[in-house]
Amino acid sequence: MPGPFQYLVWFLCTLLEVSVVVCSAARGSFRRYLSLNVYMFAACFVNLARFKILFTYGYLSPEYGYFYYYSDLLLTIGLYCALMGLYSRVFEEMGAGKYVRLGAVLLLLGTAAFSFAIVQQSSSRLAGHFVVDSRVMGHLVLEASQNLYFVGLVLTYVLWGAMLKLRETRTRLIQLVLALGLYFSVFAASYALRNLYTSLDGVWPYLIPISGCLLPLAWTYAFWRIPEDARITPSRLAVAPR
Amino acid sequence: MSRKLTVVLLAMLVLVGAMGLKTVVVTHGDNSLIMANGGAPPPPSPWKNGGAPPPPSPWK
Repeated sequence: MPGPFQYLVWFLCTLLEVSVVVCSAARGSFRRYLSLNVYMFAACFVNLARFKILFTYGYLSPEYGYFYYYSDLLLTIGLYCALMGLYSRVFEEMGAGKYVRLGAVLLLLGTAAFSFAIVQQSSSRLAGHFVVDSRVMGHLVLEASQNLYFVGLVLTYVLWGAMLKLRETRTRLIQLVLALGLYFSVFAASYALRNLYTSLDGVWPYLIPISGCLLPLAWTYAFWRIPEDARITPSRLAVAPR
Repeated sequence: MSRKLTVVLLAMLVLVGAMGLKTVVVTHGDNSLIMANGGAPPPPSPWKNGGAPPPPSPWK
């Protein structure tokens, strides 16, 4: 059962998600970063709905479980679309929007097909034949959500590499992409460390929810403090000898 | 046409890389899930059958 700390962090995270949309709208960037703002708005709405369902049905109820995992898949797809929005912003001057959309759709379909293949194989192995029921659907939702998370992680690093290569100078865009990379990396690192250091079981229930606040906090900062026309030159990571 | 094929190739490379990374991470994991959207407390999966502890795999 979640304690007062978890509720406090959850409430703080929801407030930060609202603040991203409000700051973005106040700075006139809502339409420019539409996919990011729609994702944050959806995350805020889902948090409120989760809160309502949790208090109506209880933490261990199947209603909360189903709603949590199904909404998580929708939010992960939303985050994927937000990432693709950032890709479009980075490559807009090259006129590569059509190719970004093609790649995004292909990757999404490929991830869905891969998830389905895993679920079908494991279900057939257990039951001897493949039948679509609520358990199989649930497994598919979990698998697709996890796979899309890892695709997002890799895509964020690819985008940062492309930005370094293209010498991207838009400070706000750099801040948004780096925040997303940090967010994905912190979750992956905490997952790996949780498996490495099982003796620290008391730490992870506090650390992981706090990690969820990183993205809305960094994006709020980016929209509120960094003007759209601010420019910065990223340092070169390596200098090739000539 | 070659640009579209390049996009397809890149998409497949990213997919293979991501699934490889996931396999590496999850193989050594404890079957817990990475839930990265919002601060809501993740519930136990409703698709698990009962609360009994999972036995060690008989295929090892």
